[in-house]
Amino acid sequence: MSFTINATINDKKVSASTEASTSLLEFLRDTLEMKGTKLCCNTGECGACTIIFNGKPINSCVTLAADADGATITTIEGLADGANLHAVQQAFIDTGAVQCGYCTPGYIMSVAALLDRTAKPTAEDIEEAVSGNICRCTGYAKIVDAIHLAADRLSGRA
Amino acid sequence: MEYFAPKSIAEALSLLERYGGEAKVIAGGTDVMVDIKYKEEPGCLINIKAIGGLAGIKENNGGVRIGPLTTIRDLETSALIRDKLPVLWEAAHQFASLQIRNTATIGGNICRASPSGETLTPLLVLEASGNIAFSDKETAEPFINFFSGPGKTTLGAKGLLTAIDVPYPAAESRGVYLKHAVRGAMDIAMVGVAVLITPDAAKKAVRDVRIGLGAVAPTPIRAAKAEASLRGKPLTPALLKQAAELAASEASPIDDQRSSAEYRRWIVEALTRRGLAQSWKAATGKEAV
Ligand SMILES: Cc1cc2nc3c(=O)[nH]c(=O)nc-3n(C[C@H](O)[C@H](O)[C@H](O)COP(=O)(O)OP(=O)(O)OC[C@H]3O[C@@H](n4cnc5c(N)ncnc54)[C@H](O)[C@@H]3O)c2cc1C
Repeated sequence: MSFTINATINDKKVSASTEASTSLLEFLRDTLEMKGTKLCCNTGECGACTIIFNGKPINSCVTLAADADGATITTIEGLADGANLHAVQQAFIDTGAVQCGYCTPGYIMSVAALLDRTAKPTAEDIEEAVSGNICRCTGYAKIVDAIHLAADRLSGRA
Repeated sequence: MEYFAPKSIAEALSLLERYGGEAKVIAGGTDVMVDIKYKEEPGCLINIKAIGGLAGIKENNGGVRIGPLTTIRDLETSALIRDKLPVLWEAAHQFASLQIRNTATIGGNICRASPSGETLTPLLVLEASGNIAFSDKETAEPFINFFSGPGKTTLGAKGLLTAIDVPYPAAESRGVYLKHAVRGAMDIAMVGVAVLITPDAAKKAVRDVRIGLGAVAPTPIRAAKAEASLRGKPLTPALLKQAAELAASEASPIDDQRSSAEYRRWIVEALTRRGLAQSWKAATGKEAV
């Protein structure tokens, strides 16, 4: 059974049809061909598919595409302002927090949502914000460095 | 697969009546989506998120009424829950990742009826009940009678959980929820223990105690023998140890990839002992002597 979804994605109105069993991740990647959001575990465990949904980070793989009807969504494609990267993206590059890069879009969305909630996150806030994201390359230390750097830059401390 | 997004409880119930075993209710979808992708698609999906009034936390004559669509994150960020129902708050706080907590609902956690469901043992020790509705009747059912096996509840294929009522525990009571899991944030509990203890006025003896065990039986359970062994008695270290052993004997855990049954029993004993000691100290300001 197919039906139409009307949503606001990265500040643009989007209208497209989908099947009832489609996940929001499949809707983004396969229907809208927005491949920035990654498919990995497909069970909500790894965080590679993280997007910001009505202001909150969620796993798009375990969310029904139908739930996007009427929603406001930000994906990794929506963060940069033209050629200017978002502070979180730039900080991940500058600290070397990216290795294979597959988990990176999910991390960046979790961190962007964190810095929207709190300008000066504590170590505990950071741990909570990214505990649902797995990285198999970096060993996490550089990701944490990137989060501190982005927070400092966004609040004018660096 | 057919798909419906009813706008009212009545409409959802008549769909459930019509489609019965073919139908699957979906709330947050964190369990149902995984089943759709990895197990099987139901014949019909009934998305209840368009029904108004099913989310929210409100004080309601001597307790809290929680809508089934309330997310785990909403529980975790509720000052009311943190202040008045800290055992439930603790379970919400230790629940999966932020992304999952933002999506998963308490109603989904309850209706999934997983023996390890995080909110279930707190709800059992708080003696909470559910408002359950069918197309022809509606009842308030204490959760202690609600679960009949892994994934099985008295809702069957045609019922809907429409509210969760949690009475406030005695003001002098204190409690904890302790979760044992390998990977703190993300793992399903290997064992979960909820304890609520109320001392007598002299803070000498146990007036009331409730112990809930999760992930160690086909449903979440109360450790009734352990509770009975403590009621009315001063909490000595020997009594505490004996109660923890009794709780372990009441568990009927299984061997699985997360741990062996024997290990789970040890953990039940350790967490029960720890939970009782911590709650007693919080309630009386004293160690068990
Ligand atoms: C990565 C990951 C980590 C997880 N970690 C934990 C954890 O730490 N602790 C834990 O307890 N769980 C965990 N879970 C399981 C799951 O997130 C929870 O059980 C969650 O609360 C389910 O809520 P939901 O709204 O997503 O339910 P859904 O998937 O929408 O539904 C779950 C079940 O409840 C039924 N249902 C939902 N609402 C109603 C209603 N109002 N009336 C009747 N039936 C209803 C559905 O038909 C379905 O059978 C995890 C899941 C994932 C994917």
